[in-house]
Amino acid sequence: MKRFRRQLLLGVFALIAATFAALWAHRRFHHALPDYAFLTGWVLFVAMFVLTFFNARKKLPFLPLGKAETWLQIHIYLGFFTVVLFLIHLNFRLPPGWFEITLAWLFALVSASGVVGLFFSRTLPRRLATRGGEAIFEKIPALRHALKTAAENLALGADAQSPFIAEFYTRRLAPFFVGPKNLWLHFFESRRPLNALIAELDDLRRFANDAEREKIEKLAALVRQKDGLDYHRSLQLALKLWLFVHIPLTYGLIIFTLLHIVLVFGFSGGAR
Amino acid sequence: MSEQLPAPDFDAQNYARPNQNWICGHACEGNACRQGPDANGRCRATAECKPALQIQPGETKGRWICTRSGGACVSGPLPDGSCCRPIAKCSPVPTLRIWRGRVTLAVVAASCAGLLILLGSPPWRNRFISPGEISRAHSGEAFAALFATNHFKENCQACHVAGNSGPHGIMQAALHAEPGMLDLKKLVQARAAEPTAIDEACLKCHAGRNFHQPNAPPISCSFCHAEHQGRVMAATTDANCIFCHGDAAKLANAKAESGKRKAETSQIPLIHHFAEDHPQFRFVTQKWRDPDTLKFNHALHLTGATMPKLPGGEKLDCAFCHQPDVTGALMKPVAFEKNCRVCHSLQFDPGTPQLTLPHGSAEFVTAFLRSLPKQYLNLAMKENAADANGFAVEKIANLRTLFGSGEELEQRVFFSTATAGPAAQIGTVSGSTRAFFPGCAYCHEVKSGAGDLPRITRPVQAERWLAPAKFTHAKHANIACAQCHDAVHSKDTADVILPAKETCAACHNPRAGVADSCATCHSFHPPQTAAR
Amino acid sequence: MAAAPTILERPQRWDAAFDADMTDADVERLLATAPFSAMDAEKFPKRTPLREILRNDTRILKFRKGEIIVRQGDYGTSAFLILNGASRIVLKPDLAPSLLGRQAPGKKGIFRTLAQLWNGSRPPETFSRSQLQQAAGLGARQTQKDVRVFLQDLPRILSEHRTDTMTAGDLFGEIGALSRMPRAATIFADTDDAELLEIRWQGLRDLMKYSDALRTHVNKIYRERALASYLRATPMFQHLTKEQLDRVAEQVEFATYGDYDWSGEYKRLAQAGTVRPEKEPVIVQEGDYPNGIVLLRAGFARLSQKFGGGERTLNYIGAGHHYGLREIAHNWRHKDAPVNFKFSLRAIGYTHLLIVPTRVMEEIVLPSLPKSDLPPPLEIVKDDLDSPPHAEKGVRENVGVEVLEFLTENRFFNGTASMVIDLDRCTRCDDCVRACASTHDNNPRFLRHGPTTGSLMVANACMHCADPVCMIGCPTGAIHRESFAGQVVINPDTCIGCKACFNNCPYDAIRMVEIRDKNGEFMVDQEMKPITKATKCDLCVESYGGPSCERACPHGALTRLNLNNLDALSKWLKL
Repeated sequence: MKRFRRQLLLGVFALIAATFAALWAHRRFHHALPDYAFLTGWVLFVAMFVLTFFNARKKLPFLPLGKAETWLQIHIYLGFFTVVLFLIHLNFRLPPGWFEITLAWLFALVSASGVVGLFFSRTLPRRLATRGGEAIFEKIPALRHALKTAAENLALGADAQSPFIAEFYTRRLAPFFVGPKNLWLHFFESRRPLNALIAELDDLRRFANDAEREKIEKLAALVRQKDGLDYHRSLQLALKLWLFVHIPLTYGLIIFTLLHIVLVFGFSGGAR
Repeated sequence: MSEQLPAPDFDAQNYARPNQNWICGHACEGNACRQGPDANGRCRATAECKPALQIQPGETKGRWICTRSGGACVSGPLPDGSCCRPIAKCSPVPTLRIWRGRVTLAVVAASCAGLLILLGSPPWRNRFISPGEISRAHSGEAFAALFATNHFKENCQACHVAGNSGPHGIMQAALHAEPGMLDLKKLVQARAAEPTAIDEACLKCHAGRNFHQPNAPPISCSFCHAEHQGRVMAATTDANCIFCHGDAAKLANAKAESGKRKAETSQIPLIHHFAEDHPQFRFVTQKWRDPDTLKFNHALHLTGATMPKLPGGEKLDCAFCHQPDVTGALMKPVAFEKNCRVCHSLQFDPGTPQLTLPHGSAEFVTAFLRSLPKQYLNLAMKENAADANGFAVEKIANLRTLFGSGEELEQRVFFSTATAGPAAQIGTVSGSTRAFFPGCAYCHEVKSGAGDLPRITRPVQAERWLAPAKFTHAKHANIACAQCHDAVHSKDTADVILPAKETCAACHNPRAGVADSCATCHSFHPPQTAAR
Repeated sequence: MAAAPTILERPQRWDAAFDADMTDADVERLLATAPFSAMDAEKFPKRTPLREILRNDTRILKFRKGEIIVRQGDYGTSAFLILNGASRIVLKPDLAPSLLGRQAPGKKGIFRTLAQLWNGSRPPETFSRSQLQQAAGLGARQTQKDVRVFLQDLPRILSEHRTDTMTAGDLFGEIGALSRMPRAATIFADTDDAELLEIRWQGLRDLMKYSDALRTHVNKIYRERALASYLRATPMFQHLTKEQLDRVAEQVEFATYGDYDWSGEYKRLAQAGTVRPEKEPVIVQEGDYPNGIVLLRAGFARLSQKFGGGERTLNYIGAGHHYGLREIAHNWRHKDAPVNFKFSLRAIGYTHLLIVPTRVMEEIVLPSLPKSDLPPPLEIVKDDLDSPPHAEKGVRENVGVEVLEFLTENRFFNGTASMVIDLDRCTRCDDCVRACASTHDNNPRFLRHGPTTGSLMVANACMHCADPVCMIGCPTGAIHRESFAGQVVINPDTCIGCKACFNNCPYDAIRMVEIRDKNGEFMVDQEMKPITKATKCDLCVESYGGPSCERACPHGALTRLNLNNLDALSKWLKL
């Protein structure tokens, strides 16, 4: 998709330009304005405020507030730029006070989780699409249950009179089908557990007659489907879980930021 | 063999509803109930149908019939009109988003609780919100004793109005901050750093604030002296100075504000770096002349071909006259008896070089001259002459031959120069004297005063020429005098033999690595009001 | 816990009459007027008698001189019969849109838009009783006829445009109503006393079914009028004089392929997995002598070529496109070396087309075309595969063969606003679904799932088809086209839950939902059966800013595309 490549180039260029502009302004003004720290603080605050607007846009989809895509682009690039503003506000030093250290760490964690989220959002969908098959996340338990039932019927059902298949099922497959498996291995694109199971199933063929072979084929297909389902669950979970850091900490950051503003004004009395 | 997932079996009657917060507990088995949980996550399932009461005409009781959507069930409704197939209640499962909301809520609650605990108790609060360690001077027992309003060490109130006043007080202080919280116009304005509420606290100890130039607007202490930066208060930097002196707008503002006070402000140049835009020293630009009336030719003394050697045989050099004072910063003033008399012995009788005139007062000289016979007698006795009286008489007679009368001698001693005056010269160069003595006026400005006493203008030596600057010769000891002071070319006392700015800047610049900060030479506070 | 269920009368056809104010006297008067006077009431079945059709499916409208009755380009679902006075049809040139008073259909007001903020926690598919009743009485969305637009400067329009007069007894609008095509021309009242009978298409359909005279009549004028205006609008014929055009019109042949109700058959085949191009009716066979140029009037056709043992799809063409010009032009220029059809053309679903015979093309049409309008000679085109007809430049590179087959197999070319999701970008965050739900009172109106090919998914969302088969068979006209942009929408107030549209839709875009009251209890009829309504994507016709799903996608992964041709898709893929 060329659109995204052009957009990326443009965005990165704008980001670099803005960063240089900000650093220039920092050089130019940080000794020229008596309340420079307040000023950069407000600029940083406004930037953070705009960043939270992305969430507001998501909550008001019916208002003509522009496309969420545009908002996300703004969110991403402004997010990176806000890190620059943050460093400028801190004058490139970690603050010594406990409150401000907490605030800085919150900011760092929110930013870092955002970067991780961006990385996930840009890489995991491609992996999901490459693996194929689609499952709506909320439907995964139901799908898993259906697979388990199908496998159970094959291996243990009334017309299944193959003790070694039944034994294999209860020993190896039942734990596999019962719940989500190999979360981390899937995330790191490992096929080891699947290959192991399939290989073991292949080994069973030696003892099987034609009908049983067919059954093993079907079981293997179900195992592959279950594996695909786990893969989807793993990656879709990753696509959702990073927000468990990003969003809650953002709220914490907002609380600390507001308090920070009150404190600096309350204690400065206009002093620096 | 397909690795694709099975197509989820979607209900034709319904949509996937990720916007709902709760999922039916049976959904994981693929048979979610029709009803679904309510918005608060309670199971709403009752039974598979709601039987309808059918009353045929003429009947009184009526009959319950099954209304199940998938077709009537076999056993039909119970006699009381309820469905025979109740749905097992489930515990609805919250979606991931609900969990996310809960985590968010937990973080918010934890933040609030933590902040309440930390901010609720003053000692903790102060330690927690303090933006950094306070300098040694402003903390510790001694300082706390000064402001013994509280029993703990961190005595915020000493400086901060809102210091120990609790959340409400801090809020109030924030709202009344100056410049105001949202006084953006002021925040972006290039203005001087005006004194703040905190400066009031500084003045409690550092009384008599007499800042800087009288025409400069008052400046907040904390602008230069940043507190909460550690045990040692950070030194001020050039940035503090350049803040005003590098900013035309601020200087113009200051000028406008103090316009009535002094007109000088307009002459303050913009300065950012000593080597680059510090102005040339004023003695250069304004061609200052040394107003001293003493006539002294540095060039002659240092390079003159006829210059005699010093008694020890050394050549005359700078250090013979210019000696550092005890601090090493400045040079002691040149003194006649110490530095000049060696050569300029003030002998007036060529025949009697031992006898020299006193120095320092016209009256002494007059008195000396008028008591010459006595002086000769004293000399004779000192030298154990056989005939003291005869010696004196002979010398006086000689003088008479040379100068005629005593008045004539006095005139010559005072007013003769080497080239003009009553006589070309009075002393000689021979003998123990190295410099001849033509008369006081040779070096001094001598005027005929009231009465018979001539008036000799007292020579003045400038202690330092560049008064606003700190300078110490001690730090420049490794540099030859001539590097800075071009004395060998100066023939005139009026020459101010100081280096121009460029000479200083040759070393004092960032590239040469010698300190070039403002504070190297200048002090912000006038000396008399420097910190106590 | 078990609140008393809300009991409603099960909605029936004609619960909501087209015009509730139709009186018996009106109906009597209509029965005495031609063509109804000539109809045999006995031929009508008991369930739909002529009298009831007239009462429920028609209404009498009065227009003043200059007031617009139908606008060119509108999708309308009714025909008009002039009862009194005269009307005028604008033939050429078309009226400027500004003259027609085009305006956006009703948007939600500020309050209703903002109200969606706190509607989030409502149970799904909630209706209030009053909402249903009140809306049924108003029928506001369907009958916007109350807003009359009139032409400002009538004399000037008459002098600048060629027009024709229609008088009492004339029927118009039936083509648009029946063939699900936009209105071909604008018609306005020519006298102050113009009185028209508006017949909604369900009524017209029944009238035609049981009255031979009307059917013959409609077919005749259909041919006459539709053809004339259609040929006039086709660029290929624009250099012809009126006489030449008339001669072409005389010679044109009509053909209809497939089934008017094709979707049911298709659905059956699709479920059986036996959709094969080979089974589709052949319009033009590859290798045959080109004996005429094919113009698609409605529906779609597949261009395919023999490939191995089967055929592969090269492109599909929709209404307004033609096929065969290149071959015929070649043969006309190189009489010594004639070529045959390069591709096969097969009808997909319902296809209505015109065939202009080769002889007519060679004698009349081709000589009139300037050199620049002639297709490039066949020799120059090295590889036909690389430039199938009607494909914009670059389409071939951007839209792969698999995608083309996929779109054709699934009949997705029908969509004018199909929901296409790029699975390489989609983070499966469901923001689109949530946005949709927020815009529709907490109810999603599509399923973020559907057939996929590679990394493209066409979700189960209403595609707002060029040929909306769902509209066939709706007994109340609850499903209709918005008159402005032609979105297919369902009026929930008049929907009786009969599942006709649901069964027709081959794309699983319509879902029957059981509606609930505010407590989340299902609404039921007297027999305690739940009341269902057909629901689907309405392209956020009532909201500002367009479809909220598309606007809500933070990653630019979801778009609504016109798949009638490949241009939009190709552009989006290339972007």
